[in-house]
Amino acid sequence: MTLHYSGHLYFRHRLVLAILSGKPIKIDKIRPGDKNPGLRDYEVGLLRLIEKVTNGTVIEISLTGTAILLKPGIISGGPVAYECPSSRSVGYFLEPIIMLAPFSKKPLALTLRGITTDDKDLSVDLIRTVTLPHLEPFGISDKLELKIKKRGSPPLGGGEVLFLCPIVKQVKTLNFVDPGKIKRIRGIAHAVRVSPQFSNRMIEAARSVLNRYIPDIYLYSDVYKGEESGKSPGYALSLVAESTTSALHCAEAVSQPGIAPEDIALHATRSLLTEVERGGCVDQKHQSLVLLMMVLGSEDVGRCRMAEPTERTVQFLRDVRDAFGTSFKIVPVDTSDQSPQLLYSCYGVGYVNTNRTLA
Amino acid sequence: VNAFKLAQRNKRKDWTKLIYYSALSPRQIMQGELNASDRKKDEEKDDNDDFFTLKATDGDVDSLDTTKEKCPPNQLAKWATEETLDSIRHLFITGLSDT
Repeated sequence: MTLHYSGHLYFRHRLVLAILSGKPIKIDKIRPGDKNPGLRDYEVGLLRLIEKVTNGTVIEISLTGTAILLKPGIISGGPVAYECPSSRSVGYFLEPIIMLAPFSKKPLALTLRGITTDDKDLSVDLIRTVTLPHLEPFGISDKLELKIKKRGSPPLGGGEVLFLCPIVKQVKTLNFVDPGKIKRIRGIAHAVRVSPQFSNRMIEAARSVLNRYIPDIYLYSDVYKGEESGKSPGYALSLVAESTTSALHCAEAVSQPGIAPEDIALHATRSLLTEVERGGCVDQKHQSLVLLMMVLGSEDVGRCRMAEPTERTVQFLRDVRDAFGTSFKIVPVDTSDQSPQLLYSCYGVGYVNTNRTLA
Repeated sequence: VNAFKLAQRNKRKDWTKLIYYSALSPRQIMQGELNASDRKKDEEKDDNDDFFTLKATDGDVDSLDTTKEKCPPNQLAKWATEETLDSIRHLFITGLSDT
């Protein structure tokens, strides 16, 4: 059975679902009416990267670039290096790769070069401190690491990260229904090719709001100098709130021309409070990743408490059903109270990593 | 009208139904069925209109595949008041429990 979709949206998770389910995928009508029709350079880049981390994948792109056909091979892993186009940050490429890597033949050691923090995709800081820990309850944690070797701000980038991912045979069933209470807040401020004082100014501003809640707040100024600081100036603040049950909520804000570091920090801080208020065990940025792992989990009922799905999550759930035939039960956590939080549950398909080399 | 809107908001969405058994786009689901029916009215109006009609665009041409959804500034502005800041204290270990 071939998966068939139209349009350029949801490109990444659709490719991931096709590769994991082993089903060929056809995507047509990719920006057909646009002045510049077809795939963007970063989408072509992602296809190239997929070719590198898999073996036997067949990718056909139509002459106009408005349609693609991908026949999945096996996820091979191993050492891979890739130069990301400057149109998207390394986060754009890492997000789907993180979904595939645990099911490789050999542990993936992926070097990505390019922009490490921008306003569109998860920054390398959030991927390191928030995205990767989300894999832990599924049994993916040993030797799971993202090393930030060099930072790179837009437009020129020049950053470099190394992503190491272990392989698993199967993922564990998730049962995460108690969001707990926020016990600590951590943050990373960085400033490259601008005054290092900017980091401190961001930290001050964030503290002025957060100090009222809990004493356990540590905001770290991460210093990168010379070669390690990339080719363009920029700064950012990423924040993580951790609960007593290890629920993580995160937010970040990136420098913009003409806006003071204090205002950037305030934006990040307020975004974090919005996430905390929305609540649940998983924040909105990580809904798809957690739901995917729940589907792949062993043949048992997985449960997770989260806020309302985002637009992307709604489509992701529909696409998951196409690829794996699994649908979720989504019900209010408590019918009596006014909390908008929901309980997502599904029966895992018992996905087994058949690519894995037997030791 | 306000009471009606309030009732609409209080009525919980049946997510399982909306996601798996409706043909609404994710955006339509987010904006609520109320707006979706408005849109239908608009479309009907368009049909009776002039000879030329604008080619329907889904408004998604410019939207990017991004995980980091932009927080609308007006949603963040509410955190400027002490009152809102205090309203989430119960979510931290130092705050009183909400019961």
